[in-house]
Amino acid sequence: MKTTFRALLGATALCAAGSVAAQENVTLTVATVNNGDMIRMQALTSDFTEKHPGITVEWVTLEENVLRQRVTTDIATRGGQYDVMTIGTYEVPIWGAQGWLVSLNDLPEEWDADDLLPAIRDGLTVDGELYAAPFYGESSMVMYRRDLMEAAGLEMPDAPSWDFIKEAAAAMTDRDAEIYGICLRGKAGWGENMAFITAMANSYGARWFDEEWTPQFDSPEWRATLDDYLMLLTEYGPPGAANNGFNENLALFQQGKCGMWIDATVAASFVTNPADSTVADSVGFALAPDNGLGKRGNWLWAWSLGIPAGSQKVDAAKQFVAWATSKEYTALVAEREGWANVPPGTRQSLYDNPEYASVPFAQMTLDSINAADPTNPTVDPVPYTGVQFVAIPEFQGIGTAVGQQFAAALAGQATAEQALANAQALTTREMTRAGYPK
Amino acid sequence: MSTKASRTAARLMISPAVILLLGWMIVPLSMTLYFSFLRYNLLMPGMESWAGFENYHYFFTDPAFMAALRNTLVLVGGVLTITVIGGILIALLLDQPFWGQGIVRLLVLAPFFVMPTVSALVWKNMFMNPVNGVFAWLARSVGLQPYDFLTHAPLASIIGIVAWQWLPFAALILLTALQSLNSEQMEAAEMDGAGPLARFWFITLPHLARAITVVILIQTIFLLSIFAEILVTTNGGPGTASTNLTFLVYMQSLLQFDVGLGSAGGVVAIILANIVAIFLMRMIGKNLDA
Amino acid sequence: MPRAVTTRRKAVTTLIAWTIGLLIFFPILWTVLTSFKSEADAIAIPPKFLNFDWTLANYVTVQERSNYFRHFWNSVVISFGSTLIGLLIAIPAAWSMAFVPGRRTRDILMWMLSTKMLPAVGVLVPIYLLARNTGLLDTRILLVGVLTLINLPIIVWMLYTYFREIPAEILEAARMDGATLRSEILYVLTPMAIPGIASTLLLNVILAWNEAFWTLNLTAARSAPLTAFIASYSSPEGLFYAKLSAASTMAIAPILILGWFSQKQLVRGLTFGAVK
Repeated sequence: MKTTFRALLGATALCAAGSVAAQENVTLTVATVNNGDMIRMQALTSDFTEKHPGITVEWVTLEENVLRQRVTTDIATRGGQYDVMTIGTYEVPIWGAQGWLVSLNDLPEEWDADDLLPAIRDGLTVDGELYAAPFYGESSMVMYRRDLMEAAGLEMPDAPSWDFIKEAAAAMTDRDAEIYGICLRGKAGWGENMAFITAMANSYGARWFDEEWTPQFDSPEWRATLDDYLMLLTEYGPPGAANNGFNENLALFQQGKCGMWIDATVAASFVTNPADSTVADSVGFALAPDNGLGKRGNWLWAWSLGIPAGSQKVDAAKQFVAWATSKEYTALVAEREGWANVPPGTRQSLYDNPEYASVPFAQMTLDSINAADPTNPTVDPVPYTGVQFVAIPEFQGIGTAVGQQFAAALAGQATAEQALANAQALTTREMTRAGYPK
Repeated sequence: MSTKASRTAARLMISPAVILLLGWMIVPLSMTLYFSFLRYNLLMPGMESWAGFENYHYFFTDPAFMAALRNTLVLVGGVLTITVIGGILIALLLDQPFWGQGIVRLLVLAPFFVMPTVSALVWKNMFMNPVNGVFAWLARSVGLQPYDFLTHAPLASIIGIVAWQWLPFAALILLTALQSLNSEQMEAAEMDGAGPLARFWFITLPHLARAITVVILIQTIFLLSIFAEILVTTNGGPGTASTNLTFLVYMQSLLQFDVGLGSAGGVVAIILANIVAIFLMRMIGKNLDA
Repeated sequence: MPRAVTTRRKAVTTLIAWTIGLLIFFPILWTVLTSFKSEADAIAIPPKFLNFDWTLANYVTVQERSNYFRHFWNSVVISFGSTLIGLLIAIPAAWSMAFVPGRRTRDILMWMLSTKMLPAVGVLVPIYLLARNTGLLDTRILLVGVLTLINLPIIVWMLYTYFREIPAEILEAARMDGATLRSEILYVLTPMAIPGIASTLLLNVILAWNEAFWTLNLTAARSAPLTAFIASYSSPEGLFYAKLSAASTMAIAPILILGWFSQKQLVRGLTFGAVK
């Protein structure tokens, strides 16, 4: 009896080992954002499944906010619904520190971790362990219409100041023709208007917290930031700016309604794509503006693939992550869709590639990413990391609540002064509740 | 006709529904109640500790709380007003003889079948968008500046969207009620020289009272928990101009994964919903008794 | 007796009724039309009504990106499954409430309705934990269960109000004629109750089909219905009106067609006892 049982057990173990080796019938569930580059990845899945027979990939593609809520709930409760999750530079440090993610230090040699851009790699590493593989990286920069700039008699420098942006916005605006000098994010949300405003505030010398975690919205630097932001959008921005996020602004810019747009570098490939954009031929690029204080108003973000700890399919998931973030994947996209459409901003080798160098926005994207420093984001020292966010779990809630205050100011329901006072009060409240200073 | 035996049988027949709903209510509710007294953030596991009434204190003193309470009432009240008045008008219209009655009825009924997410997306992007929306084009073609609905009248815009979805429901129930109106009574009143307005006020409206009650009751249940429309269109803003209680609880529990605070908000929302329910029952429940 | 109506008056009513009907329907019509446009035509100024190049490209794109039929089938299973189970539980309950009312009947009914007000966002975490512990996450069984419970109060109430309209005298008359309980239910009550049950079924299928919180939060890939399908188109990058319209049309068309075809049955029982 006992021996039979042992034999059975052994046989099962053998079967299990065999199935892992041959990778039979593993189904990976991949959760991702509905951004253009990810949708392209989904369309190219067959390349992966051909190379790895036995692995099937199921996609869950969701809008960013829904995705974030879904994957956070799932990983925090160990729900185990996803084998690969698309997460950003905000989540990785927090989740990694909790031990929720599988370390990717042991990805194969040829995946070449040393090729990753240092700023991006640092943002995804906690205590020497790489917890997510970057799929694409982005900073922010100025995208502008060369034809309108020329008609206004101005010339955009490679590294403009905020004063120049104001001047240019005023010169390009023509409301009767529905040309708005500048389009910026206004929709409330920590990843929407606050991403832009926080990055802008960094270049004005403002910061979220001082070294004792005291909120700083009562500082003159924040006042100057918000005043200029509101002035730019109310005087020269499109109607409905308080509800415009990345996508809305992209649509406006593609229709030729924006003179300038300061937003994610990945947008460059969309605004220069003649299939979608009516202004594809006349787009110029410049670094995000500064105020001469040594910091520019650009952020740093990388959509990355992570594997939840406790997943039963870690091996297969690693193979998928390695495929999607490899140099070969980049080459595959380049071959099928052209170099302008490859996922940018993660690897030095891409920017060393002469074929990619001819893409008009390549160098500006690289320069923007290199100009961002998540570990030292502000003029004055701060206790947190993250350029356009503060990498603490409380930030999503606080950031969105503050974003709502600023959106209210943009909508004309409150003055800049009231919005800042409210922001200071609610941030103080939430931080006290969360037990800061720690 | 009810005997002791049939009473027992009745209890047996009713019990599955009662037990299931009791379970559905008690299990999550007691968990929510328990969580509401904890410091419990999903993103910081292992840090749970007893918090007493701290979560409730923070929820009630949240600057957005009063605004959310007011917005919830305005939202429910606004949608009810529009759908009841609009529903009566449409029902009166559809009750008249005209060509193509069947088709018009289908057209009016259609919005009721549309998913809330879809209707919010369509209204926001294709109609209310101040640059590319249909309304903006209409405004410009008569020489006006496009009105920015979601910025300057966020709550009213959401009320409009929700009312569009619920108007068919109200109109249909009211129409069915209208069709059961005794036409002899109407004719007698007409012969006595009562004008159309008097006939509407003294005969039609009292006849519709029950149906109106039903519309208000059912819609209130659904309207108290409006969420998808707000999430898609305004995200509760600008400021807190379109944050209702459900959305406030969402901001606290799902956005920052503060389960303790979110649970406290949930408990408060349940209590408030029940107060509204009791109030409604008392006010208009009499109408429902046979 | 309908009163005599002049043709002139009928024509005026026709005009008004059609105008209002079309205005109410216009957003849906516009969505369907836009789904056949190119992205550039979708935002053209002035808007193009019918004079554009009709294309199916958006539908092709949407189908390439997501497995529509799987989502569709999940929606069908979840909405019909939860409604049918709900009916099975609710019919006996509503029946006994209507024909053997006790002192507490009204209270029970009101209490049932009040469970409907449980704010979903507040109890997501408890339910998610329960679902994970029972291994039911991302299964249709879980969604059928949750939606059954959510809509049960409405089902009970709708049936109750309908059953109550059935005069008890008919039952007694049948009993006097020597009908057994079986034949009483089969030949007297069922035919009278069918319209109410049909209408309840339709209304709840619609409600379950459109439920977007639980269906989105408790599913991943395998059991995700059309509400999750829409969530992947809600704000993609760049111009998206046409693709959004195509996805929206695909998500609402099945329920809209079902609703239109069964409109008579739906309306007949949709009175909640409001009609005496």
